[in-house]
Amino acid sequence: MKRILFSNRFWLVIILIILLVFPLAQHSQYYQHVMIMTMMAAVLSSSWNILGGYAGYTSLGHAAFFGLGGYLVALAHNYFGWHPFISTWFLAIIVMGIALLLGWISLRTHGSAFVVVTIAMVYIFRLVALNLPEITNGARGLTQPRPGWGGVQWSPEFIKIPFHYIMLLLLCLTILVSWRIRQSKFGLGLIAIREDEGKAEAVGINTMLYKVLAFGISAYFMGVAGGIYSYFFTYIDPQFIFDVFTGVTMVLIAILGGRGTLWGPVLGAFIMEPLGNWIIGEFGGTQIHLTIFGGILLMVMLFMPQGILPTLSNVINQRHKARMAKVVA
Amino acid sequence: MTIPSSHLFIQTIILGLLVGGVYALMSSGLTLIFGVMRVINVAHGAFLILGAYLTYWLFQLTGLDPIISIVLTAPILFLIGWGVQRYVLTRLENPERSSVLVTFALAITMEGLMGTFWKTTIRSVKPEYAAEVIKFMTYRIPVTRLIGFGAALLVLLILYIILQRTNLGRAIRATIQDRNAAQLVGVNVQAVSALTFGIGIATAAVGGSLLSMIYSFNASSQTDWITRVLSIIVLGGMGSLPGAFIAAIILGVMEQLTAVMVTLYWSPIVFYLFLFLTLIVRPQGLMGEIVREKA
Repeated sequence: MKRILFSNRFWLVIILIILLVFPLAQHSQYYQHVMIMTMMAAVLSSSWNILGGYAGYTSLGHAAFFGLGGYLVALAHNYFGWHPFISTWFLAIIVMGIALLLGWISLRTHGSAFVVVTIAMVYIFRLVALNLPEITNGARGLTQPRPGWGGVQWSPEFIKIPFHYIMLLLLCLTILVSWRIRQSKFGLGLIAIREDEGKAEAVGINTMLYKVLAFGISAYFMGVAGGIYSYFFTYIDPQFIFDVFTGVTMVLIAILGGRGTLWGPVLGAFIMEPLGNWIIGEFGGTQIHLTIFGGILLMVMLFMPQGILPTLSNVINQRHKARMAKVVA
Repeated sequence: MTIPSSHLFIQTIILGLLVGGVYALMSSGLTLIFGVMRVINVAHGAFLILGAYLTYWLFQLTGLDPIISIVLTAPILFLIGWGVQRYVLTRLENPERSSVLVTFALAITMEGLMGTFWKTTIRSVKPEYAAEVIKFMTYRIPVTRLIGFGAALLVLLILYIILQRTNLGRAIRATIQDRNAAQLVGVNVQAVSALTFGIGIATAAVGGSLLSMIYSFNASSQTDWITRVLSIIVLGGMGSLPGAFIAAIILGVMEQLTAVMVTLYWSPIVFYLFLFLTLIVRPQGLMGEIVREKA
């Protein structure tokens, strides 16, 4: 019994079951909404983690790919009638292609300079979206028809449920890919790059290829999530979707939970996203939201730079060692 | 794209030069801080806006001229900057790696606080001479821009004298050249770092005061300004003051030309494009040295 309780697989199944029945058991529109946004935050943060956590390249600009996915899906829906639930998986491949190119340029820089370049990336995307009104409708943004399937619009009571399941599917896929990468030689290579890029290169890792691939893969999931997001809200505009703050939030979530771990970003999302919603509900203004998020990031960076999961496992390991020492003595 | 007449062209370049001078002042502190500490202070834009708000506040409450208010705002921001380095950044285990995120966190915290305190209304400071224009031959030069340019040059000159002629300046330059060697010959690197951060933020206060009368701003404008000054110091070569000066003039002129020849809306892209191009073609910038990242 004890063995089952402490096995990871047991808890995974429990959590999955909870997530599967959640929208059926919980009818509150508000909680359904928060759950979808939380899972999306976990997707964004987990895929950011493939580059930012494993390879150690801090990108604050992944909102660019999130927004691009949103725009491509909205445009394809409005012009060709492609259903976002299907098109987003394919259109995100275009996002990935653009990310591979941008990664190939921006990954020549290291450390702080890379962070700066990625911030600039978001502003370039925003500026382009603002200034090509013939395609993007400029600052007024793009609107999509109310969500539905096969000509039938979903009722307001039902509407969150399909989004819940597609987001859950995306979350499972993201975690699966992140886990597979971590187990693979590719993942080891990325971690080697984080620890010492020069030495990684010296032992024969094609560091540029590895980094660019990690950049592209993480951008793919951003793109898919952006596509679902734009359909969920049925409205996007450049100011809102190409926002550096979106990028900061995923970084904060990953760092809080444990950067470079598989489950850290997921844990972080389930802490920060409900908290963020509560703050906005309680205090209204986005300004206080900004202050509190900035403050939390500052505190985490100063006092717990490793994040929750690594800190916890350190504590447990140390206790274990102390107990073993006692047994031996 | 429209080709302007030669008169408009020269008028644009004059405005670009004037703006460039102000940009040079704004980015001087950032590049100095990077030179001494290898820290990119992403909160520099937020400090500029804080300086602008303090100026605005003093002007609204007492009618104090934005230029004179520098005497008050610069020391206040000097103390804040000194404190940030002394009590926050020195706590970090690996400042070269994590300082960007920490200063970014500082920037959004400051943005949130300023937005809460001063609301989101777009502000600017309008002294009586705000609308005045000086005619120079056939060219028209707004007085505020001329004053801004003059004040920026004056502060840069003072900064230059501090760096070249004082013991503190010598210590700062020694620390920029080789931190360990400076420590070995008796420079108190910790104290120098805190003072440099203070001086850097004080220049942001002056920059903010000039900003407040030339541009309009609110708390979220800090993101526009940080990308501008960061692009400038990357182009100039991070840590190089002369490089920042030249880059600021180049980008100031290019921005104005784009505004006239393409449209005003596209002009910010000049900064981003230059940033990308610099990093691809010449990552060390115009006057920078290749800095090896220490793991």
